[in-house]
Amino acid sequence: MKRFRRQFFLGMLALIAATMAALWLHKRFCALPDYAFLTGWILFAVMLVLTFFNARKKLPFLALGKAETWLQIHIYLGFFTVVLFLIHLNFRAPHGWFEITLAWLFALVSASGVVGLFFSRTLPRRLATRGGEAIFEKIPALRHALKTGAENLALGKEAKSPVIAEFYTRQLAPFFEGPKNFWLHTFESRRPVSALLAELDDLRRFTNEAERATLDKLAALVRQKDGLDYHRALQLTLKLWLFVHIPLTYGLLVFTVLHIVLVFGFSGGVQ
Amino acid sequence: MSEQLPAPDFDAQNYARPNQNWVCGHACEGQPCRHGPDSKGRCRATAECKPVLETKPGETKGRWRCTRPGEPCESGPMPDGSCCRPISKCSPVPTLRVWRRRATLAVIAASFAVLLVLLGNPSWRNNFISPGEISSAHSGEAFAALAATNRLNQNCGACHVAGNSGPNGMVKAALSAEPGFFEFNKFLDAHAAAPTAIDGSCEQCHVAHNFHQPNAAAVSCAFCHAEHQGKLMAAATDADCVFCHGDTVKMAAASTAGSVVPVIHHFAEDHPQFRFITEKWRDPDTLKFNHALHLMGATIPNLPGGAKLDCAFCHQLDAAGAFMKPVAFENNCRVCHSLQFDPETPQLQLPHGSAEFVTAFLRSLPKQYADLAAKKNQPDANTYVQQKLVALRTQFGSGDDLERRIFFSTETFGPDTQVGTLSGSTRALFPGCELCHEVKSSEAGSPAITKPIMPERWLAQAKFNHAKHANISCGQCHDAVHSKDTADILLPAKETCATCHSPRGGVVDTCATCHTYHNAAVAAR
Repeated sequence: MKRFRRQFFLGMLALIAATMAALWLHKRFCALPDYAFLTGWILFAVMLVLTFFNARKKLPFLALGKAETWLQIHIYLGFFTVVLFLIHLNFRAPHGWFEITLAWLFALVSASGVVGLFFSRTLPRRLATRGGEAIFEKIPALRHALKTGAENLALGKEAKSPVIAEFYTRQLAPFFEGPKNFWLHTFESRRPVSALLAELDDLRRFTNEAERATLDKLAALVRQKDGLDYHRALQLTLKLWLFVHIPLTYGLLVFTVLHIVLVFGFSGGVQ
Repeated sequence: MSEQLPAPDFDAQNYARPNQNWVCGHACEGQPCRHGPDSKGRCRATAECKPVLETKPGETKGRWRCTRPGEPCESGPMPDGSCCRPISKCSPVPTLRVWRRRATLAVIAASFAVLLVLLGNPSWRNNFISPGEISSAHSGEAFAALAATNRLNQNCGACHVAGNSGPNGMVKAALSAEPGFFEFNKFLDAHAAAPTAIDGSCEQCHVAHNFHQPNAAAVSCAFCHAEHQGKLMAAATDADCVFCHGDTVKMAAASTAGSVVPVIHHFAEDHPQFRFITEKWRDPDTLKFNHALHLMGATIPNLPGGAKLDCAFCHQLDAAGAFMKPVAFENNCRVCHSLQFDPETPQLQLPHGSAEFVTAFLRSLPKQYADLAAKKNQPDANTYVQQKLVALRTQFGSGDDLERRIFFSTETFGPDTQVGTLSGSTRALFPGCELCHEVKSSEAGSPAITKPIMPERWLAQAKFNHAKHANISCGQCHDAVHSKDTADILLPAKETCATCHSPRGGVVDTCATCHTYHNAAVAAR
């Protein structure tokens, strides 16, 4: 925690200093005729550095510094890019279809980055608070094991309770069949599992001692399945934001390259 | 809470590799095969083991041995050497990593496709790449007609060479740009404001930069005038103006003998005092007007209705609200300065505007009175006319005396003689033309009255809008209450303007707030 605070303090200090310096340089040099070319190239270079973070993760064998350091650089440089972007626009709104599209792409990439940062700072804490561990790639197998266990309890050779079998077929089978309640888990709602457990509890009135023991085991499996769904929902969220951030980053780079071609092709100096 | 989840186990045989692109189709059942899919997502499952043929010395056929990890199977290999426990084939499942890569490639492909479609179609290209609306001066029917005259295109090609090209042409144009892609030293060059190739397009219509003063021809139009900013071309910024006007060397070069162009950075700091003050301009108007008297004088009567005479009575905004309407005798002076010369005949008023008309009017007084008698249905018109003329003679003497008094008198109080109900010390109804006008006697005909000269604008190159200054009183800028001389120019000094128009005053103080930068002679055309 102490290390994190130190990193945060140093990062913010660097970001504020860089922003102040950039704004001072903007005020000092904004009258230069080709100022927009200069800020544009700087912005593009910084965007490439940010994009290279993705490549860095795929090249773990190269001695390019720790991935953690790269991540910190990526975060604070990402925020600084927004400042550079505004400076490049000279703090004016863009005009025209192409430039507005380009600006929207930049805004979406930046916003998705901020959302991703928020997720990566909050969701692991929530997962730790909920307890348990599950490797995302193994969640289907774990779910299958829970489903098999519940099926054996309710419908297996040892099971002799038509009440539990009927309840399992009607209520529990769809629950164990696949991942459930993605959005409710994302928003920390436990309403569905509470309702299911309440129904299981109700069932106790119609069961004998042996069946109640089975119901207790089934309730434990329901809780485990709910915990698994919770882990899947939050871990998936931690991965899904990248489905916006990374593809749009490359789309942004394509548009940016064309933007560079257009501004040079249509600049005053073209013969 | 930890009891709610199964404890993580680590099975070296089933080690999960999240970096792999594909996972076994049986993984979701918790039973992935040992081999797993290949890198292209094909199932590699064959059998649980690959039996090995062991041949003992002396044997010819040998014996197949099960190589299944863990324990060998009970049945052992088949006679032909194949495993007896084949694994059912699965459909490998792509990992999220693969889906993300696919999404990335899809976005890249879609970006290229959209751009190629939009750039490849000439009718869409211009609208798509245009970085904003063209100013009304460079678009619309008037520009189209002008462009046709100069054999220009009306689209991007009117100004940009690359505007007529497709994607290939744009790339070629970009590669030939000056400064080029990576000429960073030129991007930092402050002298790069010199005319560029695109100025050639500007000069098709604006020959030799004639919209600006000739000494500014060495600056590219685009340096100050940013196009694609909307219907109104964006005003040049202070930075644009100061680029030249704040440069000592440039201004020294622009100065001519006897005309030093000042170096200016900010209005409140080093903008020179207004010329009407430094060059001591005087109002050449021959009309005699005393602002102080009219505003503060004890002898100035109240207006009809009882209101006190103030600035707004004479100085009223024009329809646009920017400037004041010219002061006119009929609207602003007649209410106090009556042209009635006969105290007992208010229906007869001297004409205003022409000395000849006044002379003719006075010399036809019998006819004027006769007409009035006819209008008033007087039973004896001749007697009425005679009575009026006698009364005039009693007050003014002969006709020549009357005429002389009308033109040249400046007496604001009437004669001492009793005329009708008025005693001699009353205020004169009509003191005489010379009270306000310059009247010169003429041997032949009427005296000459110099026509008043009232300049509409003193600082013709400056913009001003009275309506925007309505929240401050006139006296804060125009020192009229102390002005007794018509020749005073009652404009504020620079310091008065800078009270508000400065960083300290908080009101906008850009160059373009007041100045039009176009060559006045050309702009007037």
